[in-house]
Amino acid sequence: MSTRLKSSKQDVTTKVNDAKKKERRTGFLLVAPSLILILVIAIWPVLQSFYFSLFDYRLNEPTKSSIHLDYTLDLERYLNNQPFLVTALDQEIDDAPPEVQGQLQDMKEELTEFDEKLREQDGVAGPYEEVDELLFNFEVPSEDLKFVEIDRSFGEEFDEEFESINEELNTLQAEGVLQQGDKLTGLSNALLQTVVESNFIGLDHYKNSLTEKRMWVSLMNTGVFTVISVGLELVLGMAIALLINKAFFGRGMVRAAILIPWAIPTAVSAKMWSFLYDGQNGIIAKFFADIGIIDQMSTLLTTPFGSMAAVILTDVWKTTPYMALLLLAGLQTIPSSLYEASSIDGASKWKQFTQITLPLLKSSLLVALLFRTLDAFRVFDLIYVLTGGGPANATETISLFSYKVMFGQTNFGEGSALAVIVFICVAIISMIYIKFLGSDLLGDGAKK
Amino acid sequence: MQKKAGVGFYLFLAVFIFIIMFPFLWILLSSVKPVAELFGDEAFNWFTNNPTVENYVSVFVNYPFLKYLWNSTVVATITTVYTVFVAAFAAYAIARLEFPGKTVILGVVLSVSMFPQIATISPIYIFMKNLGLTNSYLGLIIPYTTFALPLSIWLLVTFFRKIPFDLEESAKMDGASMMQTYFKIILPLAVPGIFTTAILVFIAAWNEFLFALTINTAESHKTVPVGIGMFQGQYTIPWGEITAATVIVTVPLVIMVLLFQRRIVSGLTSGAVKE
Repeated sequence: MSTRLKSSKQDVTTKVNDAKKKERRTGFLLVAPSLILILVIAIWPVLQSFYFSLFDYRLNEPTKSSIHLDYTLDLERYLNNQPFLVTALDQEIDDAPPEVQGQLQDMKEELTEFDEKLREQDGVAGPYEEVDELLFNFEVPSEDLKFVEIDRSFGEEFDEEFESINEELNTLQAEGVLQQGDKLTGLSNALLQTVVESNFIGLDHYKNSLTEKRMWVSLMNTGVFTVISVGLELVLGMAIALLINKAFFGRGMVRAAILIPWAIPTAVSAKMWSFLYDGQNGIIAKFFADIGIIDQMSTLLTTPFGSMAAVILTDVWKTTPYMALLLLAGLQTIPSSLYEASSIDGASKWKQFTQITLPLLKSSLLVALLFRTLDAFRVFDLIYVLTGGGPANATETISLFSYKVMFGQTNFGEGSALAVIVFICVAIISMIYIKFLGSDLLGDGAKK
Repeated sequence: MQKKAGVGFYLFLAVFIFIIMFPFLWILLSSVKPVAELFGDEAFNWFTNNPTVENYVSVFVNYPFLKYLWNSTVVATITTVYTVFVAAFAAYAIARLEFPGKTVILGVVLSVSMFPQIATISPIYIFMKNLGLTNSYLGLIIPYTTFALPLSIWLLVTFFRKIPFDLEESAKMDGASMMQTYFKIILPLAVPGIFTTAILVFIAAWNEFLFALTINTAESHKTVPVGIGMFQGQYTIPWGEITAATVIVTVPLVIMVLLFQRRIVSGLTSGAVKE
């Protein structure tokens, strides 16, 4: 009897355990697609950006347009030149004056010796034959086939060897003792670029960036922009939220009006404001000049101070309403009974604000600030469209600088290093905020 | 704090709304001015005596603006549908199921949404270039996942958490399977939340600039923000067309905001406000 009871109890527990296991499995299964996408499309690129930043990686230079940790050798180039150089040397030896014959003979022997050495390298012989065969049939070998990896010491030896041969030929050519000097130097010149060095440069980009004035100026601009615009948005947003936190006619209209600047694409609003700021026919520029804030209409977009102010003003216009909205939502969760009780106790308005409103608003305030600060720090489109970073880089932020290095100069290595610097700054900012917020942010609201 | 609003309050409100709306108002008034009146002294007149639609016509005739609108619509719609679909499963699991590591996963999602775009742009650009996906819709839809998916998951988790647990429990009691519970109980109740998420994701994708600027550079594949941001005339800045184009993209936005303002506000504040 008791054993049967026991076993049925066990049944129940195993059933519960099975259900739990099943729930776990389903949980992982449902999360998996999203997690994989995030890993592949968002996290992997960040890691790769960091990897890129360790290389001298430029899209517009053939030898640096991809990333290679090892030395590589271009077999096509080698086989298109080396055999011809050897034959040309042969001919030259016959025709040359006796005093250089010996020298040329040495060169030829070195070349053939070196060729054997090359073929003895790991994994070179196979592709060597194949490329040779293809070239013999006037076919073009594929990229994968023609580049073979060689180790660093051999690559350096190769470079040294061919540089010395090239130098010797060039001196002989200058002395005018060679019959087919142009052909020989042309071939040996071409061979110089056979070995592609590794473009791994370690942390050099970071070293350069951290000592570069333009980087610090752009970081400074980003900081100034972030602190001033977020500060203004916070103060103004708070004031507006407090003022409209009451019942009034036309609330929906006000809310809709508030949402429009937020919803419009930043690039479009930047273009719109550049029309209003225009030095000749911009209404805002004229208004500011008329009331005496600026001395000339053109001051706004042509002076460093004016353009920074213009950028900040546009950002404040676009996001203060949004900030007000977030804070208003926070305010509405504070029960009005708290205020009633404290006003019975005779607390002043200011005291109510500092003792009730602020503490209760803390977490929504910090969340709003966190997202706004990060958005402001990452600013790109607003400045790209409104000022392009000018005048004289006075409004160039770090994201914009990184973009210009990558897509203007096609220097993806250095640009990636700057992007990683942005990433690190953003990580530091969020960590500071999250320390203040504690676990509130992720707070598992699932209360059972 | 339900105080009655006085005259002073409405006056303040009027000024506030005027400041917010002024740029739009000015752009609207400028867009119907003949080109000559956009420059010189007449540029500062509120109203023109010769209203015209020539700027609006020119935007469509002389610029591939219709193409921009179409590109943005396609990219933003597909991005929204696919990310919200994928995110709905993940968000359900995170909000309603018990499994180890879900807080960590939510933390990862949140951190990814904080990533600066510039830090992902170079590998993504090179990847797209190597696959031949630059100047294609897919070339934008794939990278848009970086911000659209975390945003969808984050919003949906908060919405799913609000659905009462009792319903699910009683469905389980009645012997409904996990999938049945999801499709018959949770999903219908989550529709408003999913819809709100979709609106916000759509706006985010519609407004994106950096990826669109770098990946789709051909006129035929530009999106609206890049198209307007880079609007260039042959000799002068075509302000007439720019103002008209701005009005054209703002009007549907205003209508959308008027229709869905409650939802948008609830979406914007749901992640930020703890109730």
